[in-house]
Amino acid sequence: MIRLENLRYRHRPEGPPALDGVSINIARGSIHGLLGPNGAGKTTLISLLAGLQAPREGRITIDGELLDVWRSARPNAIAQIPQDYAFYPMLTVDENLAFFAGVQGLPRRKRKSQCAKALAFSCLEAVANQQAGELSGGLRRRLNLAIGLTGEPDILLLDEPTVGVDSQSRNFLLEAVRQFALSGGTVLYTSHYMEEVEAVCSDVSIIDHGKVLLAGPTAEVKRGRTLEQVFVELTGHSLRD
Amino acid sequence: MRRTQLFIRLAALWKKEWLTLARDRHGLAALFIMPAIFILIMSLALADSLSVQREASLAYAVLDLDGTPVSHALDARLGNLDLLNKTASPSSEADARHQVRDGEVAFVIIIPRGFALQMGANQPPELRLLIDPAVPGMVRSGFRQHAEAAVTRVWLTHALERLGQNMMLPDMERIASPEITVESVGKQEIAVAVPPSSVQQNVPAWLIFSMFFVVVPISTVFIGERQHGTLQRLRAQRVSFGLVLTGKFIPFVLVNQIQAAVMVAIGRWLVPFCGGEALSLPDNAPALAALMMLSLAVSVAAVGWALFIASIARSSEQATILGGIGNILMGAIGGIMVPRFVMPAAMQAWTSISPMGWALEGFHEIMLRQGSITDVLPTICALLCFGLAALAVAAFLNRRATST
Repeated sequence: MIRLENLRYRHRPEGPPALDGVSINIARGSIHGLLGPNGAGKTTLISLLAGLQAPREGRITIDGELLDVWRSARPNAIAQIPQDYAFYPMLTVDENLAFFAGVQGLPRRKRKSQCAKALAFSCLEAVANQQAGELSGGLRRRLNLAIGLTGEPDILLLDEPTVGVDSQSRNFLLEAVRQFALSGGTVLYTSHYMEEVEAVCSDVSIIDHGKVLLAGPTAEVKRGRTLEQVFVELTGHSLRD
Repeated sequence: MRRTQLFIRLAALWKKEWLTLARDRHGLAALFIMPAIFILIMSLALADSLSVQREASLAYAVLDLDGTPVSHALDARLGNLDLLNKTASPSSEADARHQVRDGEVAFVIIIPRGFALQMGANQPPELRLLIDPAVPGMVRSGFRQHAEAAVTRVWLTHALERLGQNMMLPDMERIASPEITVESVGKQEIAVAVPPSSVQQNVPAWLIFSMFFVVVPISTVFIGERQHGTLQRLRAQRVSFGLVLTGKFIPFVLVNQIQAAVMVAIGRWLVPFCGGEALSLPDNAPALAALMMLSLAVSVAAVGWALFIASIARSSEQATILGGIGNILMGAIGGIMVPRFVMPAAMQAWTSISPMGWALEGFHEIMLRQGSITDVLPTICALLCFGLAALAVAAFLNRRATST
């Protein structure tokens, strides 16, 4: 179980809270949807889970251990898949995978096998020798995911992984996420596409202004409505930046 | 195990830098093609202005119409010019005028008939000098002085010889021929000091300039990493910023050293192949080692500066402009574009604020003044301090940016 307990975080001491007492439980092996309008605190939450920032208050535990302690024994166990194309456009797909596997300190043989697995998982074999900068949007998203898988992680933090891709690529990515969870992995999935979250997430948390508004199994949260309706009901109709 | 992992991580970072640089045509052009062209063009174009041997391309001839031992002695003395090439005598005065008019020779000295007789009669000897009007004034007056000195010396020798014969004194010619020993004074006592030349000004100057242009490839990749979230991804993978910096620092220091080797090779072989002078390097191991240490210190300064620029710039375009302008200003002040010794005294003082100026002074200290490692140690320390300070600021800025 991943437990986020009473997390508080401000980007600046005088600024508004990005997270204001967030508590969420994420079951291992589940796909947990994290919903919220722009500026709700989703990316901050992912940053805390990825270890990029430390909460000012509260704590994160995984399987009963504090995040830092758990992570120090498993440095590659959490992979963040950012919204941006966080790789090197001048390197080929293969070279990108080898680089990110290398910086995780994987030995040569392991590195090769992991890169081959990630390449196959993301169906990128055909473009393995193509420069990443020349790939289409869908292929770039798949490479972004493949890079995250090179360290054989237990937990995937996906930040809007399907932005700007066609239906085929989106379905492929959603299926890949399902497969990852079926193989025992845990996924925290943020998206603005409600139908995606409904389709893949077993549980959801809706947050806004740094607070959890509603959390639970997807079916319970919906209660006969669409997720979109629940979301708008909770977060309102006013425009966000 | 941890050490092996660290090496695997560093190796991945180094390989990535090499691959991205190898595919960055603009970066490669800025690092290798630009300085090579500058060295070639500037070394050839400024060869005459900067070389003490610039007049070597000028020729002169002596037309001896007197044909006496005295006129032969004068002819021989006029031949002792290091800076001009003496050519075969013209057949006649008309031929001499023709040669000057056609630019074949810059000067012809005509020793008239009766020159020896004039001397014997204690009359002031006369010479005629034909001059190409295109010859610069300084060279013209210098040559005229040389001719006057030669005549005076021959006349004095002649007079002293006659005096010596009358007074039974031996070897009066030695009295009339004082020897002036010319010695270039370098840091070490050596027989021949290497004179500065265009190629010795331009090779280190444009090498230093191009080394600082690592700002282009470094900032392009670094800003891309920051903008696309790659740095954040690396942090999430527990790759420290220090490791990322080390991953950039070492490959680019190596790139700088390759630049140094290529530019020196251009100075030694390509410039002379194109008609310029060859770059001369110190021929002793300690001096070469001092040059290498200086080159490494320049690399540290250049890579530190590049990472600083990459950290303050918001886009790669901004970094290219900031880095480019910074480099050009440092180069202009530091004596890269205009040699320091041709600057007015007030401007020369400004070179001391430019790291490129420090570096160039260091190279000249070793290459021209035969300085040793101890002579350039303050320069090396200054460059290292500059590079490490720039690196520290870059690290601080990045830490601040990632903590919010």
